[in-house]
Amino acid sequence: MVNSANAILKEYKEKLPLFHEQEKILKQELTAAFEKAGLHVAAIESRVKSYESLEGKLRLKGSKYHSLADITDIMGVRVITYYVDDVDRVASLVERLFTVDWENSVDKRKLLEIDSFGYLSLHYICSTPSFPYRFEVQMRTLLQHAWANMDHDTGYKSGVEIPSRYLRSMSRMAGLLELVDEEFSKIHVELADYRRRVQALVASGNLSDVPLDGDSFRSYLELKPFDALNKRIAKMNQAEIQEVPLGQYLTVFKGLGFQNLGDIADLVKEYSEAAFQIACYQIGLTDLDIIASSLGPQDLCIAYVLKKGGGRVGLKYFFDLLNGQSESNASIADMLMEQAADLPFMNQ
Amino acid sequence: MEAKILENNAVITVELIGRLDTAAAQEVSEKLLPLQEKADRTIVLDCSQLNYISSSGLRIFLALRKASAVKGGKVIVKSINDDIRTVFMMTGFLNLFEIEA
Repeated sequence: MVNSANAILKEYKEKLPLFHEQEKILKQELTAAFEKAGLHVAAIESRVKSYESLEGKLRLKGSKYHSLADITDIMGVRVITYYVDDVDRVASLVERLFTVDWENSVDKRKLLEIDSFGYLSLHYICSTPSFPYRFEVQMRTLLQHAWANMDHDTGYKSGVEIPSRYLRSMSRMAGLLELVDEEFSKIHVELADYRRRVQALVASGNLSDVPLDGDSFRSYLELKPFDALNKRIAKMNQAEIQEVPLGQYLTVFKGLGFQNLGDIADLVKEYSEAAFQIACYQIGLTDLDIIASSLGPQDLCIAYVLKKGGGRVGLKYFFDLLNGQSESNASIADMLMEQAADLPFMNQ
Repeated sequence: MEAKILENNAVITVELIGRLDTAAAQEVSEKLLPLQEKADRTIVLDCSQLNYISSSGLRIFLALRKASAVKGGKVIVKSINDDIRTVFMMTGFLNLFEIEA
């Protein structure tokens, strides 16, 4: 038996560079597969068993192994996902990429009794035609990973007797993490459903049915609702339009009392002419040949406040929403109030 | 037109002095180009002595802002006068920068 252990260790030393090379290839293959599937994982970790660890394993269980190929965890990859459901998605991709040795693979999620909590993870023993040795792929969520590390750190499985109250605490914590994991997953699924529904409503044009929030606003911006106005303004001075993020207009529109996407669509429809008049007045006689894509929504909001009779206070409030509270917003409001007197839409 | 760059640990201050018009913009742009590589830091554009900005000047500011968005830094525009603030507002640039008194 000592001879076979020595032979295994010798083979290990010879093949170590091959394992390291394959470790890199595996990580690359998994990363590419996840990317292609649009699956975002928290981490992909890998390691090749150290000589000392292998020596220890052979000392303890040497009789089980006759050659290096009998040992399935010389090389291991661990995929850590954000969500419980993603563990199964990862598993399905791993099944497609490699040949799974089902006899030696373990779904630890199914091993626990219904009334116990603890280590949950999916372990596959895999092989691939281009590499003569089997390897292990572990799949678990971030919280399962946290549990496994804590568990290891506390020496829970070290064989040293631990008072039952600590074991109970550990078990309670495992249960809590399992619950949190499932709740995160549930929220993730529900959010994805909500986003799909919002996207469908936005695409179908039922904008008044879509409440104004971060997700719906993002979907709405994909329709480029301010493009026509920006282009009309830019054309006046042959200006280029610099695309800039418009996310902060969500706070502005909400602050102005808009409830749904239909309210913004109405703003664009009813106030574009007035917004164009503001832009004409301000930059029509200048040689400014660059505007930001935020100019359209900005001038729409100015037109809206002015037409609604918000006056100086309303304008300052709008710029406070947009730029943060500042006294300089008051001087901009003053200037706009002076200009407003000359704007055709204010005199209709 | 003058652009003085003062580096102090995490903050780079650029003092802009004079008129940032089309004629001056190219020289200033070339001088500030290396800052795009350092845009993971805070870049303060001190405009207390800047009395005019043209479209070309706005493009320089915007280039720095884009670089800082990519690299995780920030651009602060400090002490702009009312005329320049108006130009920022008229072009939709006002909310693109953190503006300090």
